[in-house]
Amino acid sequence: MNNINRREFLKLGLAAGSLLTLSPSNILSKTLGKKATRKKIIILGFDGIDPQLLKNWMEQGKLPAFRRLWESGDFKPLRTSIPPQSPVAWSNFITGMNPGGHGIYDFIHRDPDTYIPIFSASKTSGSNKKISIGGYEFPLSGGDVKLLRMGKAFWQILEDYDIPCTVFKIPSNYPPADTKQRTLSGMGTPDILGTYGICNFYTTKPSEIDPDIGGARVHEVYVIGNQVHAKLPGPDNAFKKEHPESYIDFTVYIDPMNPVAKIKIQNHEFILKQGEWSKWKRINFNMIPTQSVKGICNFFLKQVRPEFKLYVSPVNIDPADPVLPISTPKSYSKELEKEFGPFFTKGLPADTSALTYGFLDDGEFIEQDDLVLKERLDIFDYELKRFDSGVLFYYLSSTDQRQHMFWRHIDKLSPIYDEKLASQYKDTIFNIYQTADYVLDKTMKKADKDTIIMAISDHGFCPFRRQFNINTWLKENGYHKLIDERKQGDTSLFMNTDWNKTQAYAIGLNGLYINQKNRESRGIVSPGTEKDNLVYEIARKLENYKDPETGENVILKAFISDKVYSGAQTSHSPDIVLGFNKGYRISWASPLGRLPKKIVEDNRDKWSGDHCMAPQLIPGILLTNRKIKKASPSLYDLSPTMLKIYGIPIPENMVGTPIF
Amino acid sequence: MMNVLNAVLSKIFEIIFIPFQNINPWYGMIVISLLTGILMLYVFKLTSDQEGIKKAKNKIKAHLLEMRLYKNDLITSFKAQGNILVSNFKYMRHSVKPLLVMIIPILLIIIHSNFWFAYDPLDINEKALLKIKLSEEYTPSNFDIKIIGNDFVNIETPPVRIDDEHEIAWRFSALKQGVHEIEIQAGEKSLTKSVSIGQRPLSKISPLKKRKSIMNELLYPVEKPLDKNSPVKSIEISYPTSGLRIFGMNIHWIISFFILSIIFGFSLKGLFGVEI
Repeated sequence: MNNINRREFLKLGLAAGSLLTLSPSNILSKTLGKKATRKKIIILGFDGIDPQLLKNWMEQGKLPAFRRLWESGDFKPLRTSIPPQSPVAWSNFITGMNPGGHGIYDFIHRDPDTYIPIFSASKTSGSNKKISIGGYEFPLSGGDVKLLRMGKAFWQILEDYDIPCTVFKIPSNYPPADTKQRTLSGMGTPDILGTYGICNFYTTKPSEIDPDIGGARVHEVYVIGNQVHAKLPGPDNAFKKEHPESYIDFTVYIDPMNPVAKIKIQNHEFILKQGEWSKWKRINFNMIPTQSVKGICNFFLKQVRPEFKLYVSPVNIDPADPVLPISTPKSYSKELEKEFGPFFTKGLPADTSALTYGFLDDGEFIEQDDLVLKERLDIFDYELKRFDSGVLFYYLSSTDQRQHMFWRHIDKLSPIYDEKLASQYKDTIFNIYQTADYVLDKTMKKADKDTIIMAISDHGFCPFRRQFNINTWLKENGYHKLIDERKQGDTSLFMNTDWNKTQAYAIGLNGLYINQKNRESRGIVSPGTEKDNLVYEIARKLENYKDPETGENVILKAFISDKVYSGAQTSHSPDIVLGFNKGYRISWASPLGRLPKKIVEDNRDKWSGDHCMAPQLIPGILLTNRKIKKASPSLYDLSPTMLKIYGIPIPENMVGTPIF
Repeated sequence: MMNVLNAVLSKIFEIIFIPFQNINPWYGMIVISLLTGILMLYVFKLTSDQEGIKKAKNKIKAHLLEMRLYKNDLITSFKAQGNILVSNFKYMRHSVKPLLVMIIPILLIIIHSNFWFAYDPLDINEKALLKIKLSEEYTPSNFDIKIIGNDFVNIETPPVRIDDEHEIAWRFSALKQGVHEIEIQAGEKSLTKSVSIGQRPLSKISPLKKRKSIMNELLYPVEKPLDKNSPVKSIEISYPTSGLRIFGMNIHWIISFFILSIIFGFSLKGLFGVEI
C-alpha cells in the first residue's frame, strides 16, 4: 500500500465486494458495447390493429398519439402476408421475404409422410443416444430445438454492421435466432409441456364442461373435510423408460365459512379470496434426484362453494432459469426477471382457451390479460429508458388477443351476440387501442429528431361468424374419400380418410394440399398437368362456392401458391391458400383433419374476431413520422427500409423494397 | 437462565452487526465468520492437547517419508501405512474434545445468525401470511380469534381456518416501515407478534414465536415466548427467505458461514500459534 491511503483501500474493498454480488451476465452486458448510431429506429408492433377501427378512432380524436404521428408523418394500410396469419406475417417483416423465402406458410404445416399436422415454426427433438439402467434412461447428448423460419432476421444483418438492436417478444422467433443482439422470443414460445399452452382446471363439477376440449385439462376433484388434494401435471419424465407424466401434488384448504382458501404447493403457501389471482409461483417438476424442470404458473380461485373451481395457468418457462432457449443472450431473460420478477414467457400469454371453455369469464380473462399488459408495459419503460442507439422493436400481443375474443361484443351479427354482455364489454377493444396509444405517446416523447418511429400491425381484423369445413367440402365435391362414411365426423387427424382415393386435403388455417405422388407418402395425383388442372379446378370451385344459408361467397380468393410465392422454400408450400370472405373462416374442426357433416356452420365460439381471411380485406397499419414514398407498402418492405436507413446493402433474397 | 443468555447473546450480535446493517450482508457474514474462526482457534487451543496433536502430525509425516524411502520394501511400506493409520486415530482422538466443546458456542452462533441472515424483511406492499397454530384441544372454526387493527399492516383476507391442522391463517400486506408488534386477541388472551417491514439489508427477523420451553427458548431466542398455557402454540409470519448473492448465484448463508469460518481458522492458526 505505497501509493494508496487507508480510505482508498477501504473504498477498493467495498467496490470489490460489490462486484462479487454482480452476476457475470451483468458484468458482460455492461461491457459488450456496440456502435452508437445517430439515426435510431423504434418499431412498435401492435399485433392485429385494424386500419379502419384505428382511422375511425383517430378521426374522432380518441387516439391522440396515433393522430399526432399521422399528422407529423404518414398513415397507410400495410399489406399483409398470404395468408394473413401472425407467424407468416411477422416472418415477412423479419426477413423481408414472402413465405416462399422464409418457409412459414401457416401456424400448422403437415408431415407429407404421415399427413399429421406439425408446428410450422420450430422443431424439438430429444436425445438420440441413451443409456438404460433399470427403469431409467440417461441421455448421452442434449436434445435440440430448431427454428424453422429460414432467412436472416433484420437484427442479424444489423449485427453484421455493428448496429445494436433490441427485439422484444417478436413472433416467429422461437427458439431465438442466433445473435448477440438482445432478443426475447414471442409467439411460438411453448409452455414447459412443449405446447402452445395447456391450462389446468380443477372442479367438483366437470360435467359442466365440454369434454371435447383441447388446450386445457379438466380435473375432477372432491372437497373432503374442507380440503382438496390435487395434482398439477408437468412434462413427461424422459429419464424413466415409460416416460410417465411428472406431477406436483398440492392441497387447497378451504375455510368452512369464508370464501377464501389457502393453497400449499411445494414451498409456497398463499391465501386467495374467491375471484383472486395469485402472483407467479416458481415450481419444480422432479425427474430424478439431480434433475428437475422449473416453471412458473399462477392460480385463480374462481369459486369456493357450492362447487369448487380453481384455474391454474399453463406452466410457463421460468425466465430466471429457462429450461428451453427463450432469449439471446441467454442472460437477457434473466436480466428482465431480476428487474421485474417472473413474467409470462409463453408465446401468446393470455389464455384464450380458458375463456372459450368458461374456466374464465370475460372479466376474469381481462384481469389475466391486464397482468400480461402490466408486465409488458414495465419492460417497455425499462427498454425505452435505456434505448439510445440502433433499433428497438417492441411487441404487444393483447391487441390481437382481445380482438379475437371480444369482437362478438361489437358485432351485432355474431351468432353469440349478447346485448347485456356487449353493453358491459363493448369498449374492451377500444381500451386496448388506447393502451397502444399510450405506448406510442411515451415513445414519441422519448424520440428525438433523428429517431424514426414506426407503429405497425401485421394484419387487421374481421368478424368470424361462419365456419367452413373445407375437408367436408372436398369430400362432398369428390376430392376426399372416407374409409367409412358412417363414421364421418367421429375421428380427427384423417383417421377415416382413404388416402388411396383422396386427391386433396386441408391442414392448418388456410392451407390446402394436393395428395401428390412422390411427395405425400400415399399420393395419387401426378405432378405436372394432372396436378395443375386439379389445383385450378378446386380453386375455381371454391371461389364460386356460396354459403347455402346466406348466399354469400365463402372464399373471396383461392391463391395458387405457384403464383404468389417465390424463394428457396416454395417446395413446402400448400398448393392452394384460402382467402376467406369477410365473416368466414376455416372451421375449428378442419385444421386438425376432422370432417363434420355440415359444410358451413355458425361460429358459436367466443373467438369471434379473426384475420385468416383474404389479405386484401384485412391489411395492417403503418404509421410513421416520415412521409411514405411507396404507394402500397407491405410488411416485407420494412426490413429493407431499416437497412437502407443505415446504408446497408439489401440482400438479393429480400423481395421488399424501402418505403422511404 | 435462558432469558439472560438470549438477552446477552442478542446484544452481542446487535453490537457486532451495527456497522454493517446498511451495507451488503456479505460484510456482516465476513465479520461473523472471522470472529467464529478466531473463537474456534481459541477454543481449540484451550481444550486440545497441542503437544499430542503436534506429535501425531509429525509421526504421520515421518511415516509418509518412510513409505517414500522404502517404497521397494513391501513389509516396511505396509508397516509405515499401519503406523500412519494409528497416528491418524491419535490425531482424531486429540481433536474430539475440542470439537465437542466447540459445538455449544457454534450452535449458539448459528441459531442467532440465522435470524440475521436467513430471512428478508417484508417490502412495503409485500404480502405475507400470518399463521397461528392452536393446541390440539382447540378447533380453529370454534375458536374466537382476531387481529387487532393497526396502521402498519393491512389484513387482506378473512381467516382460513384449517381444523385438521389446528391452524388459522390470514394474508396481510405490509404498509409501514419499521419493526412493529401485531396484536392478536385469542380468546381472553392478548398476544403479540413482531413484524419487520422495509428494514435495512442486514436486520434481525423473527419468523416464528413459540410457547415457552427450554428448547423453544434456545431455538427461537429473538422474541419473548408465548405463555406456557396459551391456547396458541405458535405464531408465524412467512418472510421471504434470503441468501447471499455471489457471481449471480444465491448461496445459503450457512454454507458461506462454514466455508469462511474454516478459511479464517486455517489462515490465522499461525498468528495465534495453534496446532490444528
